[in-house]
Amino acid sequence: MDLFGSILSVAFFAQVLRLFTPYYLGASAANFSERSGVVNIAIEGFMISAAFSFALFSIVFGNPFAGMFFALIIGILLSLLFALFTIKLKVNQIIAGVGFNLLMAGASKFLIVLIFKSSSNTSRFESFYQIPLLKDIPVIGNISGDYIILFSFALVFIGNHILFKTRFGLRLRSAGENPAAGESLGVNVRLYKLYGVLICGFLASLGGIWLASNQNTYSDGMIAGRGFIAIAAMIIGKWKPVNIFFACIMFAFFEALEILLQVSMPDFPTQIIQMLPYFITILVLIGFIGKTKPPAADGISY
Amino acid sequence: MNKRIIVNIVSVLVSIFVTFLLTSILILLIGKNPIDIFVMMFSEVLGSGYGIGQTLFKATPLIICGTGIAFCFHASLFNIGAEGQLNAGAFVMSLVALKLGALPLVIALPASLLAGFIISALVGYVPAIIKIKKGVSEVITTIMLNFVIIALVNYFLIEFLAVKSTVRTEKISDSLMLPQLSDYFNSFQGSSANLSIIFALALAVFFYFVIYKTKLGYKIRALGYNETASKYLGIRTNALTIFSFMLGAGLTSFAGMNFIMGYKGYYELGFSNNIGFTAIAVALLAKNNPLGIILSSLLFGFLDFGGLAVNTEIPKEIMLVVQALVILSIISINKLTEKYLNKQKI
Repeated sequence: MDLFGSILSVAFFAQVLRLFTPYYLGASAANFSERSGVVNIAIEGFMISAAFSFALFSIVFGNPFAGMFFALIIGILLSLLFALFTIKLKVNQIIAGVGFNLLMAGASKFLIVLIFKSSSNTSRFESFYQIPLLKDIPVIGNISGDYIILFSFALVFIGNHILFKTRFGLRLRSAGENPAAGESLGVNVRLYKLYGVLICGFLASLGGIWLASNQNTYSDGMIAGRGFIAIAAMIIGKWKPVNIFFACIMFAFFEALEILLQVSMPDFPTQIIQMLPYFITILVLIGFIGKTKPPAADGISY
Repeated sequence: MNKRIIVNIVSVLVSIFVTFLLTSILILLIGKNPIDIFVMMFSEVLGSGYGIGQTLFKATPLIICGTGIAFCFHASLFNIGAEGQLNAGAFVMSLVALKLGALPLVIALPASLLAGFIISALVGYVPAIIKIKKGVSEVITTIMLNFVIIALVNYFLIEFLAVKSTVRTEKISDSLMLPQLSDYFNSFQGSSANLSIIFALALAVFFYFVIYKTKLGYKIRALGYNETASKYLGIRTNALTIFSFMLGAGLTSFAGMNFIMGYKGYYELGFSNNIGFTAIAVALLAKNNPLGIILSSLLFGFLDFGGLAVNTEIPKEIMLVVQALVILSIISINKLTEKYLNKQKI
């Protein structure tokens, strides 16, 4: 089979754009939080929790939009709790993140066994109806017909606009760069940190929801480190929505390539591709590939 | 005992109590009686030599790994990379043990432990040197390294070294297997507890003395407390950062001993089962004091095996939730205690 032919095909390109979605939602989530000065390494946990609760409520109500509604509510409530820990109590953000990751991964494992009597996955459910007309466009129908994919593309521009062109974005960034200066100018720094954390919970949840909707089920381990790859994409994208877009496209390309190789060259060691996002991130951090610098007050309680 | 230590102990006890309370609420919500569950758990785990043995077995790698992580934490190094470090070390440990099987135990065992230690320490060197040379926080580098290391181990294991159609290495020579506790005490019959627990206890006690009673430990704590000040005291902070990171990371490798030499006889993918992350909770709960880590590891070992003991009533995965609740309650109650202490000016 001609590998290069497959890579250059439209279907492969469409696949990259689909796989891009959860990375970009997760990376934007992390970015909004870090721009406000709160490091949230629990993106993985938020995605897990949303993917699971989306599946659960979609099954309970028999309607994926109800599932999405409740999964988002739960995601926002959990990020409120995360904000309580990191902004109000000012506990170490990394440790809070480790705790939340364990909590949400553990809780979904527990609830799957409790509710679905299975150690690995929920029952299947009907996924979203695709957008009429747009879904019928040839070749790209399963991209243009998908609400969340379209939203994640729009988010590149919306996110960039909000962060860099609005008063809200300026204040949010001031909380992450120099909270004391922001406060002296009358910015309610903690409130903006709360906004950052809540937007983070919302976007990360949406990423988890997309993954579960894509599979029509939630299975244990399906997030598979995408929450951490999202953080990696944010770092490589230098905390800028447009750059993060390219980082996520790159990681989506790796994932699509991995899937392709598993079929066309079963002997190819895909572990090497799996570790690429993390490896590249380290190289970027060292300064081999461009320079990257987090918000100045990132991770410091205020 | 000064007041601060008492307050510390009280805050730990309060967090454990809060965790029990939240767990009880959770069990109630499921429609079970929490008291029944707890009674069942205690009697199953502590009522038999087997239960106690399994608790010790589960606590062993946590004591070892928790001590290594605490060592880094004392130097203010946030080592989130124990999971990768210990897998790299344990993998190499099993390979060396496999190769040296024919040699006498007194050579082969220390040699394989040393090999594992060196590899884990080298994995710890990477974030340390990046931190010093480039000023990049070790948190992100260790998280990223976890994935890189585990993918690499996975690659070498599956491509070259695994027994066909499994994800494990070949079994090491029987002469390298550690004696089981049940060989000495009949009542531990059936449990996997082995001599590694003695090693783990000795390690924790030894590092308690290193951290709190030696000049080296003093320097490391000074570095962790205030890097600038310790620099002006003449402490070579960069060298000490590298040393602490490598030593702490190296120690985590010994967690593999419990599984490889004490239990299965081989390295298996996923054997660590998130020990590297659970050990962070263990170290936090003990406020990075190795003697406390012995206790918190026993608690987590108890929870781990206790989950299995009540699995017929309630899914054992509830213990994953409980472990997370321990972390979240300890960090929040620590902060509340700190605020209280600051108000009292003690």
